[in-house]
Amino acid sequence: MPLLEVEGLKLHYRGASGDVRAVDGVSFSLEAGTALGLVGESGSGKSSVALGLMRLWPRNVAHFSGRVLLNGVDCFKLDEGEFRRHYRWEKVAMVFQGAMESFNPVLKVGEQIAEPLLQRKVGRKEARKQSLELLDAVLLPPSTYDRYPHELSGGMKQRALIAMALVLHPQLLILDEPTSALDVIVQAEVMNLLKRLKRELGLGIVFITHDIALSSDLCDRIAVMYAGELSEIGGADGVLLRPGHPYTQKLLAAVPLLTEEKEPEFIPGSPPDLTSPPPGCRFHPRCPYVFDRCRVESPPPFPANEHRARCWLLLR
Amino acid sequence: MLLTLATRAATLLGVLVVVLLLVVVTLGATGFSDNILQAVVREEMKGIRESLARTIRDPAQLETALEARRQELVSFYGLDSPWYTRLPGTARRVVTLDLGEARTLRSFKGSARVADIVRERLPLTLALVTTATVITSVLGLLIGVSLATRATSRVDRLLSYLSAISNALPSWWLGILLILLLAFRFQVFPSGGLYSLPPPEGRWDRFLDLAWHASLPVLTLVLVSLGGWVYTVRTMVLNTAQEFFVTVARAKGLPESAVQRRYILRVAAPPILTNLILGLAGSLGGAILTETIFNWPGMGRLYYDAILAADEGVIIALTFLFALIYVAARFLLEVLYIALDPRVRYS
Amino acid sequence: MPRDIWKVLLSSGSGRAGLAFLLVLVAVSFYVVGTYPRDFGLSRWNNPAYWADNPKSAPPRWVSLLGTDTTRHRVWERSRPDSVTPAGDREARLYAFSFSLGPKEVPTFLSLSLADAVYYGDPPLLSLRLSRPDGKEIGLFSYSLPGPRPGEASPTARFQDTPLRIFLSRDEALLRSTSRFLSQEFGLQLGPPELMGKVESALFGTPQGEGFVPLPGDYTLAVQAVTTDSRDRIGQLKLVVGGSSYGAMGTDAVGRDIASGLLFGFPVSLIIGLSTALLVTAIGAFLGVLSGFSGGRVDTLIQRSCDILVNIPLLPILIFLIFVLGQKLWLVLVILVAFGWPGLTIITRSMVLQLRSGQLVEATQSLGASRWRIMFRHLFFQVAPFILAQLIFITPSAILAEAGLSFLGLGDPSIPTWGQILEQGFRTGAVYVGYWWWVLPPGILIVLTAMTFMLLVLGLEPLVNPRLRSRF
Repeated sequence: MPLLEVEGLKLHYRGASGDVRAVDGVSFSLEAGTALGLVGESGSGKSSVALGLMRLWPRNVAHFSGRVLLNGVDCFKLDEGEFRRHYRWEKVAMVFQGAMESFNPVLKVGEQIAEPLLQRKVGRKEARKQSLELLDAVLLPPSTYDRYPHELSGGMKQRALIAMALVLHPQLLILDEPTSALDVIVQAEVMNLLKRLKRELGLGIVFITHDIALSSDLCDRIAVMYAGELSEIGGADGVLLRPGHPYTQKLLAAVPLLTEEKEPEFIPGSPPDLTSPPPGCRFHPRCPYVFDRCRVESPPPFPANEHRARCWLLLR
Repeated sequence: MLLTLATRAATLLGVLVVVLLLVVVTLGATGFSDNILQAVVREEMKGIRESLARTIRDPAQLETALEARRQELVSFYGLDSPWYTRLPGTARRVVTLDLGEARTLRSFKGSARVADIVRERLPLTLALVTTATVITSVLGLLIGVSLATRATSRVDRLLSYLSAISNALPSWWLGILLILLLAFRFQVFPSGGLYSLPPPEGRWDRFLDLAWHASLPVLTLVLVSLGGWVYTVRTMVLNTAQEFFVTVARAKGLPESAVQRRYILRVAAPPILTNLILGLAGSLGGAILTETIFNWPGMGRLYYDAILAADEGVIIALTFLFALIYVAARFLLEVLYIALDPRVRYS
Repeated sequence: MPRDIWKVLLSSGSGRAGLAFLLVLVAVSFYVVGTYPRDFGLSRWNNPAYWADNPKSAPPRWVSLLGTDTTRHRVWERSRPDSVTPAGDREARLYAFSFSLGPKEVPTFLSLSLADAVYYGDPPLLSLRLSRPDGKEIGLFSYSLPGPRPGEASPTARFQDTPLRIFLSRDEALLRSTSRFLSQEFGLQLGPPELMGKVESALFGTPQGEGFVPLPGDYTLAVQAVTTDSRDRIGQLKLVVGGSSYGAMGTDAVGRDIASGLLFGFPVSLIIGLSTALLVTAIGAFLGVLSGFSGGRVDTLIQRSCDILVNIPLLPILIFLIFVLGQKLWLVLVILVAFGWPGLTIITRSMVLQLRSGQLVEATQSLGASRWRIMFRHLFFQVAPFILAQLIFITPSAILAEAGLSFLGLGDPSIPTWGQILEQGFRTGAVYVGYWWWVLPPGILIVLTAMTFMLLVLGLEPLVNPRLRSRF
């Protein structure tokens, strides 16, 4: 049984001019000990998927539906109290985008890491010991425990966030753009850390990023998200080397290559307004291969090589 | 951390020095202190004349002797040199409240010394202001937080209006209103004073009587600052509640009560405290006027009486003391702020 | 940008209310500036003689609508007699003042004033006679104008600059006539000392039991001036039958028409508030921008000064300085400005620093704009709405500060303000005897004025604090 199974996840927000269909029917599965990359532009809805999985929707939510099965249990059917006590952070934890803002500025870093433990009646000394072990695991010095967030650098904060996410030994870890605010060297360190943790702890990882090249480093499978839908999903090699969807192809073409003369390409146009997505295939206004059927009907996911992509081209 | 504390202390001390300078220089440059000193000299001369006249019979001799003594007094008080040379002396006297005797005002026990008069009023003012501040803070926190968690646009607007009114309401006018209403029309509370006449016997009865008399002034002070305070608390709490780390706290599976306490209130505390600090001067001024209306014999009422009686010694002493109180209160609050917000500890 | 400000203000309830109130304030102020004399404070307000004929501590006229029994205040001024009857070689000039008293009306005092008298021969003789509705008549009073001084040429002019004022209610002669009247008509023995203070209830009432009951009906007070020469002139005669209520807002203990004092306060308050706010804003914003932009020693100097000034409690210092330097309004303004600018400088400086590190300034600088140009043109428009909000916010604080100062007795006596009116009421104990019309209106006006500006600030909030713009 896969660790995580998501079926038809939908999450709409109430906006000023209509409902924003941030997540509009997303389905995928994840095996324990593997990493799934969720790739897309800003505004594609990937962060909302994460919030949906954690049942952390904001105040202006208009609609949510779907099934999220963690080890076979439908999380959405549980009541809030049950979810909070036994699932949130215990079975699924998240490392948020924006390490700067994720910490409480007036509490010590170590205390914030240890909080979930103390909440579960673990003694102070034991909690501190476990937190220090985690800090060690993410390669932070023990003195970090007594520091305040504003005393840490961006990279240190990011690693502390990872430690904080792991404190209850979750089975599923969601990371939302964990490295976007960091320089490349620190980025590499964090990625190495994640790879090691995946190996040593058998974590299931959902890695959300806009950088498709970065996801190739860690992820076993990659899902590409566009306008609230998964446009392509499959094994990393397959998606990266033999992409089936024009959007994925464009994303890959936009990555500057060190060894070739070819210039990076831009994708014309801009992501659609999610309050009223275009009819038919959502990518059709920007697709170089668009034809009539694309404008009218939304393609279902088709098998393409070892993976699936939503494109009428694959029907042939 | 000690460094920041020391810099704050230095600034506040500087404030005190500036106030002192302002007081002393104004007194000197306008000839005010000259007048005071000359009046003192005249008083002393009268006494000297009486005592000398008893021993020296010859009028011409008497006058020469008196003149000599007068010259002595003049040079003793430094009246023969320009006013700025007397500044250090004047400054020292202001700081130690050694300002001689009041003209007409007297302390409760009858002493005419300015220092005595002012000193015995101090605890009364502090008691009034502290009681009002504590009540306002507690009420404001409770109401502000509950409003923040139930924020709707209608409540929001109503609250904005109420706090605008509360800000515009001068405490002393509200006091007059309350007297007209609660003391005159519906005689629920006394219209002023410290105790009833005659004051009741027995410590408990006296205390109740005192509390009954203090009710209207405290009520006035509380009502005036409550509006703005509730608005501040609610705004800060709402702003903090929208911060990202609050969402993270909920993501960590913390119960809502812990999130409220440690992530919202605790973090909103420093800016709320800042607003308290900013309003400190205003509440001091409000206390002065409120005491005047309710005839509460504290330092504020003394100001009013001294102005009516044109008793400059008392006014000088009060001005300096108020600056001192303000600086001290401000310093305490700054210390509290540093304790609450680790971000400012190393600047 | 002014258009945005207008739009934002008109879009919210509080902005609209604030603008409406402001309009009223400004309109009234213009009216007052146009109609009142400049030295209103000295020539009228603080001049007791001007208010001598008003009832003292009288509630407003409209309290009768609330059910309180009041007597109307009646004043007549005549420059020509109603009839002139020859009496031998003299003339009797008759001035008849007729009025009707309602069922519970009892006048509170009587007074007669005469101005501009010129006579050629003997001085004119005045006499006063009251006719009551029950048919009885009383000769109340007679008075001969002062005769010519030795060596004074004819014609003699009297009471040219200051009118003659006879407060009849305390006049010995009138008291005696009343006493005689009472004993003759009613057999009542009440001597002048006992009548003092309630002679009006006797004159305008009938005895009953221990006191008097008001006698409603038509009365006529006839003033007769007997002159010896037809060229004699009595320029102006004024009779006051005092009432128990007066004016739109009543009177104070000196008889001043509170409404006129309150009206005068409108432009004064606005001037105090706005001029302080403008100066503080101008100086504070300029120094703030200068400080934020220059950095270095200039910045440190300005910052330190702000730090210190901001920590000085305003009211005690204000009290002290005004007490020592004199109670003058312009001095109050100077002090308010001198201690007020740091607040604005601190805020402006931090905004400038924020913007300065932003991209806008770098971009402009890279385009070659000079430093001053950047400072004033580009930063100004970003910071302007906020400064405007501060300006509106400072206005009521200045008004309240002046009011508080006046309340403590340190107001400027030549310029009456609402705070001073309140202070006078408080000091004379009006609060404790329930003279609400004296103490409530000035306070209400102060509060309303302050609230007007608060409402405007609230109305500007969406422009100033964008986070609040689209929350609900």
